[in-house]
Amino acid sequence: MAERISNREGLRGMANPTRYGLERVAYWLQRLSGLGLLAYLIGHIYETSSIVNGKVAWDKMLELTQTTQGHLLLTLVIGMCVFHTANGIRVMLGHGGIGVGKPGQPEYPYDKSQRSAMGSLNYKQRLCIWVSIALAALAMMYGMAVLFGD
Amino acid sequence: MAWQFYLVIKMRESIIMKIHYGTALGAVALVTIHILFRMTQNFSESLQYQNVIANYHLLPYALMLEVVLVLLSVHGFNGLRVILLELKQGIMYEKMINYGSIGAMAALIAYGSRTILMAGMGMS
Repeated sequence: MAERISNREGLRGMANPTRYGLERVAYWLQRLSGLGLLAYLIGHIYETSSIVNGKVAWDKMLELTQTTQGHLLLTLVIGMCVFHTANGIRVMLGHGGIGVGKPGQPEYPYDKSQRSAMGSLNYKQRLCIWVSIALAALAMMYGMAVLFGD
Repeated sequence: MAWQFYLVIKMRESIIMKIHYGTALGAVALVTIHILFRMTQNFSESLQYQNVIANYHLLPYALMLEVVLVLLSVHGFNGLRVILLELKQGIMYEKMINYGSIGAMAALIAYGSRTILMAGMGMS
């Protein structure tokens, strides 16, 4: 029992993106972006509710959110949203068995094409993670151009 | 209470994950439309009071916002539930997390719906 508890890292273990390669980083980013987006959703619903208090309240709320900091936060939200979507679609396809390939027995000498030796993801899935990160970066750049271009 | 019992105790995780994925796909499509609405004109112009109120007065758009609200709340709070259940397990803890996430989901939907309804009916 004591050993089981000592092996339980809890929140610290979940917050650590290292040790298990790219797939762990993707898992970590997916959860982090999910939590960030949920926080944004709650904030966005609260922010938009000020419209029921009339034009003055709405304009006051806009003064708070339509600032450089507000636009930077929105850019981050765009990045989180695009990564969460693209990586989420990869996870869905993976759960459905699409793009995961056939499991293979690791044979010595191990090379990177052997999934079981180097991790559980094949090159297609690993590529999808990089594409998700790239798409998020591109979307953030486009978002910045729109938000700061006004 | 029977539906709550079914939701929290009887519903299999595999079914919940299908709901999670379904709400995700639906939300992606509808949030895209929501963002495109902001791009129909200059971003800061689209946020002007009259424009936003006009959006709420447009019934199909208001209905879409309501659907987005439900989809994102279900997806978001179920995601949070999954994270919290990965972190710790136990009968009481799991029950608390399950009921807590359903409660939070309902509260957010109710609060968002209030805004959509009041703004849509011109009660501002």
